[in-house]
Amino acid sequence: MFRNVLGRLVTDTVRVHRYVKSAPVIQRLTPTSVSVRSVSDVKDEVQQSFDASLLEFLVCPLSKKPLRYEAETNELINDELGIAYPIIGGIPNMIPQEARLIQKDTDTSTTPTQG
Amino acid sequence: MAASMRLLVRRVIRLSHRNVNVTAAGLPGRSGCCWAPSSCRCFSDAAGDKNTHFGFETVSESEKAKKVYKVFENVAQKYDVMNDAMSLGIHRMWKDMLLHVMHPQPGVRLLDVAGGTGDIAFRFLEYVRSQQERQKRRVARSMQTPSWQDISNNYSTEEEDGPQESTAVVCDINKEMLKVGKQKADSMGISAGLSWVVGDAEELPFDDDQFDIYTIAFGIRNVTHIDQALQEAQRVLKPGGRFMCLEFSKVTNPVLARLYDTYSFQMIPVLGEVIAGDWKSYQYLVESIRKFPDQEEFKGMIEDAGFYCVRYYNLTGGVVALHSGFKL
Repeated sequence: MFRNVLGRLVTDTVRVHRYVKSAPVIQRLTPTSVSVRSVSDVKDEVQQSFDASLLEFLVCPLSKKPLRYEAETNELINDELGIAYPIIGGIPNMIPQEARLIQKDTDTSTTPTQG
Repeated sequence: MAASMRLLVRRVIRLSHRNVNVTAAGLPGRSGCCWAPSSCRCFSDAAGDKNTHFGFETVSESEKAKKVYKVFENVAQKYDVMNDAMSLGIHRMWKDMLLHVMHPQPGVRLLDVAGGTGDIAFRFLEYVRSQQERQKRRVARSMQTPSWQDISNNYSTEEEDGPQESTAVVCDINKEMLKVGKQKADSMGISAGLSWVVGDAEELPFDDDQFDIYTIAFGIRNVTHIDQALQEAQRVLKPGGRFMCLEFSKVTNPVLARLYDTYSFQMIPVLGEVIAGDWKSYQYLVESIRKFPDQEEFKGMIEDAGFYCVRYYNLTGGVVALHSGFKL
């Protein structure tokens, strides 16, 4: 019986830690969904699936040209202007002031390899 | 502190009596800056930044965007609760009216700008889903006595639900508001056909001719350059697309206008302080309503942006106006 209690304590704290990391504001009404979604892998998958369908009509607000999704840094890249828009919590942030400038000489991994 | 606030509010009510009949060109607002509650900030930027209004204050345009951002960042968590408290739940009727006038059919794409907590997007998806179910029921009813032709057709067109998928994109400049909206969606279990984007209404991150319907509910008065937002709306809408805007406007009946003003300046900031702990943000809210152009002037602005068949519906005696225009 003690083992069960201890086991539950451990998993609960792990769940809380994971959830706290990924979502600062917790909805108290959905404890069940918390335990399901606390696995960070599921959250990442959900973030990626949001992105793909948006790319059909999402463009850079400055140049109105299409963007490229960079999975490693989780950003949307405009290669022409050399800027990257971050995606936070599955929501792309398309404000030009919040975009990151890509340094062309240091960031070789993000240089375009278009034909 | 409370006494000086009360003096302030009384001064503002006197102000508002005068301002109600003024069609809001920028000029009377600038003279009103001397009466503004906080210190008068009538400086003009060295870079030649124009001045605009932030409630009854005068600020530079770049400052307005920052201040508006701050306001909504502060109120985001309690936004929905405050809406219910301030409008006594009537805001739900206004938004339902918007959907009713919009009458979206399954398969359309909606862009909800300044959508924040997603009220319009949720209603849109629900409406479209109930429409789809109604259609299915109608089809099922007509299929009660199917002929052999009908049955064979039915087998071949079983995957028709694909192209009928409606999508809603919620765009807002404020991350906090979108976060609250996304949480709501997750708790309601709505995820299909709903997307969230942080973007500026004056510089939308969307391609041309993409959306069937563009809505902006109670957001356009917070935009620094309304004409730019209207032009962006014109750009992203498909030809035949509809622009719809819900916004607080001028009350036509003078008796109701007085009641409304008293309620706005006496009750709303107090409610803001009690419920959200933020007097100033709600003071800004009621002041910004007074600074927004009236129904006819806004209709003119929409027509200037290139929309046709522009008309408006007054709701609750003019407290809220629903403007609608088409891109042809």
